[in-house]
Amino acid sequence: MNTHYQILHIAIKAGEIILENGGEAYRVEETMIRICQAFNVYKADSFVTPTGIMLSIIEKNGETYSAVRRISVRTVNLEKISMVNDLSRSIIPNKLSLTAVENCLEEINNTPAFSRRILLLASSCIAGFFTLVFGGTFRDFFVSLFIGMIIKFFSLILNKIKINEFFINAFGGAIASFLALISVKLNIGINSDTIIIGSIMLLVPGLIITNAIRDTLSGDLVSGISRALEAVFIAIAIAIGSGVIIKIWSVFSGGIFL
Amino acid sequence: MNDVILKSIYALIATLGFAILFNIRGKNLFFTSIGGAIGWFVYSLFLYGAFSKIASIFLASIALSIYSEICARILKTPVTVFLICALIPLVPGAGMYYSMLECVKGNITTSLFIGIETLSLAVTISIAAMLVSSITKVIISIHTLRATSKRNNTK
Repeated sequence: MNTHYQILHIAIKAGEIILENGGEAYRVEETMIRICQAFNVYKADSFVTPTGIMLSIIEKNGETYSAVRRISVRTVNLEKISMVNDLSRSIIPNKLSLTAVENCLEEINNTPAFSRRILLLASSCIAGFFTLVFGGTFRDFFVSLFIGMIIKFFSLILNKIKINEFFINAFGGAIASFLALISVKLNIGINSDTIIIGSIMLLVPGLIITNAIRDTLSGDLVSGISRALEAVFIAIAIAIGSGVIIKIWSVFSGGIFL
Repeated sequence: MNDVILKSIYALIATLGFAILFNIRGKNLFFTSIGGAIGWFVYSLFLYGAFSKIASIFLASIALSIYSEICARILKTPVTVFLICALIPLVPGAGMYYSMLECVKGNITTSLFIGIETLSLAVTISIAAMLVSSITKVIISIHTLRATSKRNNTK
């Protein structure tokens, strides 16, 4: 294969890994252009949005090579972003060859994530301890531990069958408020408010807000605004999910709010 | 005051949970969770000292953004690894919930009031984070300018 095509494919693969695992658009552009420049490309330009990457390389004699990559799967794995970032910086000092970089990228892409059991445990800890942070009692804490695990369990399943993110968040909010209200009714939990707040902190779009800020700041207005809009929609989805359940509950219990 | 410290420890564990959920590994896990605790500690400390909610959140976001920038430079890791998880305890989830609850109850005015407060808290966090990262960029560019001018002088 032509070396220019190889450089192009390596750079766009690196960008794809970063964008798929929750990196900011400007980091994707920086990394791709750093890789291209490390291999002495005359000119490289890129345009990145949260859903796609465009990259083109121009040679001195005017030959242009370009590629487009569509991003449909989005997960969060900050370790991979950090590794790709390190790799792109170490090409020049370590004098890595094209195939070495390609192998490294493949290795990074195949590093295993945490197992399902650890994820369930971590999310139950998140819900439980946020309930304590927002002033819950220890009985509320145990209810939230349970709710956190259930929300993560269902969102993993729904993610697998590729249902959109807004439905998953609305469903998570609904589970949180439903289980919280039942636990208070059965006299296990004490305060349904703190249980619900602690549990929906698990769904709050912290990553998207941070990325929106950093993208806007670095001049990527398209990605910044679309991320901000995504964050607003997720917040609305969580509110709708929990709100619907609370409304239905109050109708069935005769208009009394817990 | 005891309450402030105790809740900061709870926030530390919750942030650790998020760090695991976002697949951070090794020693970065530890530094990320410390960031979450710092954010919550500064926030509740200023709230305890009768500062307004927005001022406390602003100062807390500034404190933890500075902490993340320093950690990123020392540990040679992207800033976002520390910033994303540590900011989550400050995101106004409670405000979101209460504005929804008031809306469901039919108290639209109260709901709007809390909703706008929540939105301004979220904007405050982003302004603080923007401020710190812009100032860091200025400091770094001054450093590099100095370094290059020194190199030119020695030549």
